[in-house]
Parts: sequence; structure tokens; C-alpha cells
Amino acid sequence: MSSQKKRNFKIEAFKHRVEVDPKYAEKTWKILEHAIHEIYNHNASGLSFEELYRNAYNMVLHKYGEKLYAGLVTTMTWHLREMSKSIEAAPGDLFLEELNRKWADHNKALQMIRDILMYMDRTFVPTSHKTPVHELGLNLWRDNIIHYSKIQTRLVSTLLELILKERTGEVINRGLMRNISKMLMDLGPSVYQEDFEKPFLEVSASFYSGESQQFIECCDCGEYLKKAERRLNEEMERVSQYLDAKTETKITHVVEKEMIANHMQRLVHMENSGLVNMLVNDKYDDLSRMYNLFRRVPEGLSTIRDVMTSHLRETGKQLVTDPDKLRDPVDFVQRLLNEKDKHDKIVSSAFNNDKTFQNALNSSFEYFINLNNRSPEFISLYVDDKLRKGLKGVSEEDVEIVLDKVMMLFRYLQEKDVFEKYYKQHLAKRLLSGKTVSDDAERSLIVKLKTECGYQFTSKLEGMFTDMKTSQDTMQGFYASQAALDIADGPTLAVQVLTTGSWPTQLIAPCKLPLEILGVCERFRTYYLGTHTGRRLAWQTNMGTADLKATFGKNQKHELNVSTYQMCILMLFNSSDRLTYKEIEQATEIPAPDLKRCLQSLACVKGKNVLIKDPMSKDIAEDDSFNVNDKFSSKFFKVKIGTVVAQKESEPEKQETRQRVDEDRKPQIEAAIVRIMKSRRVLDHNNIVAEVTKQLQSRFLPNPVVIKKRIESLIEREFLERDKADRKLYRYLA
Amino acid sequence: MKKEDTVKLISSEGFEFVVDKTAAMVSHTIRNMLTSPGSFSETQHGEVTFPEISTLILEKICQYFYWHLQYASGKETEFHIEPEITLELMMAANYLHT
Repeated sequence: MSSQKKRNFKIEAFKHRVEVDPKYAEKTWKILEHAIHEIYNHNASGLSFEELYRNAYNMVLHKYGEKLYAGLVTTMTWHLREMSKSIEAAPGDLFLEELNRKWADHNKALQMIRDILMYMDRTFVPTSHKTPVHELGLNLWRDNIIHYSKIQTRLVSTLLELILKERTGEVINRGLMRNISKMLMDLGPSVYQEDFEKPFLEVSASFYSGESQQFIECCDCGEYLKKAERRLNEEMERVSQYLDAKTETKITHVVEKEMIANHMQRLVHMENSGLVNMLVNDKYDDLSRMYNLFRRVPEGLSTIRDVMTSHLRETGKQLVTDPDKLRDPVDFVQRLLNEKDKHDKIVSSAFNNDKTFQNALNSSFEYFINLNNRSPEFISLYVDDKLRKGLKGVSEEDVEIVLDKVMMLFRYLQEKDVFEKYYKQHLAKRLLSGKTVSDDAERSLIVKLKTECGYQFTSKLEGMFTDMKTSQDTMQGFYASQAALDIADGPTLAVQVLTTGSWPTQLIAPCKLPLEILGVCERFRTYYLGTHTGRRLAWQTNMGTADLKATFGKNQKHELNVSTYQMCILMLFNSSDRLTYKEIEQATEIPAPDLKRCLQSLACVKGKNVLIKDPMSKDIAEDDSFNVNDKFSSKFFKVKIGTVVAQKESEPEKQETRQRVDEDRKPQIEAAIVRIMKSRRVLDHNNIVAEVTKQLQSRFLPNPVVIKKRIESLIEREFLERDKADRKLYRYLA
Repeated sequence: MKKEDTVKLISSEGFEFVVDKTAAMVSHTIRNMLTSPGSFSETQHGEVTFPEISTLILEKICQYFYWHLQYASGKETEFHIEPEITLELMMAANYLHT
């Protein structure tokens, strides 16, 4: 009895029904019509389903399907007309409720009718291409009720009115709304869209356009965004409560467009409360709200990003070019770091860690850090300061954090080689004076630089560390050897043997050392050259330090911690009481600027003035004279006498460093050119410049003019030649 | 067996078959009768009269209901139909939408 069997059989009526009563159809239909009336009148309990089903079944079997179907349409239409009258007559508030009730009635009746006419639905409807009963019922409802002109307009306006009421804060019957919108959806998506959604969206657009206009006149940016967000959430909730889920994107789109997109520029640039203000005052909530709202509209985020970038560049530019703030390099870098931290936090907490925002942030920093060509020096000075004293007593993790931050700034630098130069100088000073706080921190930073810029960048720095280590061993060896036995009473010497090339040393003529020292030095030289053949030692007297024991007027003993130069000067006073500047200069042969600085720190610093200068003044003149300050006193036994050194480089020094950097760049540029030409053989000028720039980008930004000069120099030295036909083309000469 | 779980099927000769509702609902027609929203008399009384189905056929139909349930739950046996009732049985099946 599966469905296959019956499909292939033509079912004939039962035998005893063959002679058909001519009024049979009429009679049977009357029964069914009556039943439909009863069903609509809620009076179905007395009806026999079997009887009705059988009658409908027989009607279809006897080919009265058409009559049955037509009858159904007429009867149902008649009932719906009745219903529409009663709905129409319902007073204002009750209109929707009446509609809803009638809809429920109709639905239930429709269900029952469909059940008893199931056989028709099953056989007659498909063969004669009619609409199935259920759909027919919905269509009739749509045509007779929803599209009945008096109801149609009233329905839409009632719904919109209710939604408006809810928007202005009144409570409405959401259940009813849900039923009605469900009804519209049941009638087919086109009914819902045409009869409700479209007008709903139009009305919403004009509502929000008006409201946003009103808000923007009287609210500040933060408040406006709060309101917009609330509205958006309200609409989403409304959709989830009683509208079709598909409406959500449409209505939120309307709100976004009216409340955000149309006012975007104005909001962002709002005075005293716009984006810049939020950034300045760290208003994370407002920023995050702005981000989330603007993200919904096209170009919203790029608007935020652009404004943020230009603001950052502006403030950054002020930061790096304000001469006031450039006075203290450490402070300067700290300010940069603070700025970075601040904006990092904003991006992470308010902007969802958006990659594009991070990039914007980075490019802004890169832009303004490089506006000031002293940035590399200052960053190195900052590291210097941190490694000398700033990190004392700080846990290892915190040290790492500071170093990572420095590395981040380092990444922004275009002239990394300049940084390297300064870093080398500062590192050398730290190592030689033994001032570095933690070797681990130093090494960790070098590892970081290595990962960032490669081995080449840090090999010399690492060489410096190795020198320090071997020097220690050398000194131990020296004092264990025969050579040192003879000088056990003399001054203790600590030599650091530095590899030329690794260290930023300049070859300068050593000053005249006091005899006592000279003796020890000679012994060390003999020892060292004895153990290491083929080497040359040159004394860098400008970098050493010394501890002196001194006795002042009232038998006051102090240990003075001074530089080598200062030591030489002070030793002179062992043999004479009063010396003029000229005499000192002659006796020591210290270069004049250094000598002046040393004397200044010996005579002019309050509390550390072991010498008295005549005449008393701040600066050292060539005809000054000096004698020992017998009245010198200090609370401490050990007195450290610093050298008056400009921490920051002075203008001429800066020029000099600059020059050296430029000088160092030349071979690098040449090497790059040769590398490129070797692989390409022939290339035109512009491409060479582009390639070279690309290759060297990680270290510095080469100037095209300089590159041109290098090319010319290479042509002169016959590495390259110009193409004879095209002068712009270069050829590599193997 | 509770009365709510059963349904009485009555043949044209007045024979009554009491079967489980689950079995009876193998027929789509009977299922609709029993589940249609309005309260038809069949739903109220729990009995259905088939004035056009003979006892013999209705009995076979009830057998089929149970066989069908078993078959659906995996017990694959044959359902034997005597050739002489085939036509009537098929007409009833069409009527009951089984």
C-alpha cells in the first residue's frame, strides 16, 4: 500500500455509486458549505471529520473538484468580507487587536478546512494547477483584509504610530506587534516588505534625520555618540522583539546613515569634544564608542584614522621641534615614550587593537621622530641614562620592558646608523667608566639590536664586551707575573685593552703621564707585548679614571675619584703649590678644551673644589692660576669629581659626528651599488637609486644626490661605465 | 491501555476495532482527523466510523498499521495480502492516505 501502487491505478468509484444522483454534487457541497460556515462560527464540535472528508473525497472522485474549489473560494471570501467589516468598524485602539483576533480565527479555520479538504489538496490541486488550500486562504486574507484599501493604510499608519510612540519612550503592546508582523511575514516576504518594511524604513529615516539634527545642535560629541548608540541598540532590540530578523541590517543601516554617516565629519571635528579632545583626555569609553559606531559606516574608520594621524603628527612635531623640550634628551625621549604608551593604550582599549590603527600610529611616530635629526642621539642618551642609573634596583622584567620600548623607538628611526654611532660612543663610556648598572641589560639590548638589524650592526658592540672580558684576564695575568712584583708598592694599574675598530676611539696624542704612572705603564706594555706578539699599544689617556689619596690642610684625608687627565693635573701639585694655566698645559700636554673642562670641574664645582682658581670666576682663562684648596672638606671620605661634560653633544661635535656618519655611509652605499650591478649587469639611474634605497632602508635613508656621487666615483674607479648609446644606463664592469 | 491512547475504528457493518493512536496515525487521514485544531466529533469521542469500509478490509488495515510500525522500526517481514481483496484494500488505502 505504498504510494507507488496507487499512483498507477485509476481509481473507480464504488459500484453502488455508479448511477450518480444529478443533485448529488449540489447536495454534497451544501453539506460542506454548511460545515465551513460552522467552522468559521466556532461551531465545529458537532461535525464529523470523517463525514466531511468522505464527502469532499467523493466530490473529487466524481470530478466535481472544480465545483468544490470554486465553492470554497466563494465561501471563504464571503467570510473574510464579514471579518473585514468588523475589523474596519473597530475603534482606534482596538483595531490591531481585532485584526489580530480575526487573523487567529482565520488561521485556525483555515487549518481545519485544509484538513477536511485534504484529498482535494492531494489530487485535484496539483493536476489542475490550482493554489493549495492553505496558500489560497492566505492569499484571500491578503486580498480581502490587508489590501482592502480602508484597512491597508490604517494598518500601516497604526503600526508606525505605535513604533513612534515606543521611540519616544511609551510602552506598547509588543506581543500584539509581534503577532501582526508575523502575520505580514506569513503572507509572504513581499507583503511584509511592501506593506510594512518600506514605509517603516522611510519613516525611520526621516525620524532619525530630524533627531540627529536636533542632537548635534545641542550635544557634545561624546553625548551624541551615546545617544546614537542607544538608538542603534533600541532598533536592534525592536527587531529581535517583534520584527523580521532580516529587517535588522536595513534599519540599522538607516540609523547608521542618518545618525553617523551624515554627521561624521562634524562629529569628529567638534570643538572641545571631538576626536582630538577625546584623544588628549584619554576618553577610552567615548573613543571605543566612536570606533564601534563609525566602524558600521563606510569610511568611518578611515575618518577617525586620518584625524588621529594628523593630530599625532601635529603634536609629535611640536614635541620634537620645541627647543624647550630638547634641552634634556632623557626627558625628551621619555616624553616620546609616554606619548606612545598613551596612544598604544587607546588603540588597544578603545580601538579594538585594530591593525590599521596600529599602522597609522607607527607611521605617525616614524614621521615625526625623524623630523628631528637629533632623535638618534637622544634615544641613545636615554638608554645611556637608563643603563647608568635609571635601572638600578629595577626588576629584570621591568628592565626588559624599558628596553623593548626603546627598541620600538629605534625601529622608527630612519638613520639607524647614526644611532649606532652614538650608541657605540655611549656604550664605550659606560664600559670604560664601569658605570653600567647591569651587564645583562646591556647584553639583552644588544641581542635585541641584533635581531632587529643583523649581525653586522652589533658585531662591534659585542667586540667591546669581549675586550672588557679579556682585559680582566690580562690584568690578572699581569699581576700574577714577575713584572708586577717589582712595582708592588707603586700605584695599581688597571688597563683595558681595546681593539681598534671596535671602539669609537680617536687617535689622539697621549698626555704626559706622571712618572710614577709611566713606570707601571711601561711594565705593562712590556708584559703585554711579551705575551702577544705583533701588536701595538697606544694609551687612550682621555678615557681613563684614577683614585687618588689626598691629604688636605688639617690632616683631612680623602680619596678622590677623578679622570686620568685630572689625575695628571693634581699630581703636579705634589711638587708645587701654585701653577698657572700655561704651566699646567705645558706639563701635561692635555688638549686645551679637555684641560679647561678638567680644571673647571676641579676648581669651580661647589663642594668638590679641591683647587682654588685665581681670579675666582666661572670660566677658565689662559692666564688663570691655581693652588690647592687647603680648606677643602667633604662629608664623605670618597669624593667623586666629575668632568664637566656636556651630556648632549655640542654643535661642532654634532657636525663632526654627522661628518663621520656620512663618511661611513659612503662605502656602504658603494657596496650596495656594486652588489646590485653585479647581479643586474645593466641598470638605469633611477632604478639603481631605488634599489639602493631599498637595500639600505633598514639602516638609513640614503640621499639620492649622495648615491649619484658614489656612482660617479665608481665609474672613475672603473667598476661601472655609462652605456654609450643611452647615457642614463650603467654597465657593470667585471 | 488508557482510553486517550487508543482510538475506535468502526466498519460499515458496525464492527469496532480498538487500536493504538500511534498505529492509527499511520493513516494521514486519520492523523488529520485526530489532530485537526477544531474539536470535531471524532476527536471528542475517540471513535471514527467508516461507512464505506467493510469489516474484512478494516481488519486488514489495522493489521497493516501494526505491521507498518514494526517495519519502520527495523523488523522487515512480509505483509501478506490475499489477491481477492486487493482492489478494495487499495481503494481504502487511497481514502485513508496510507
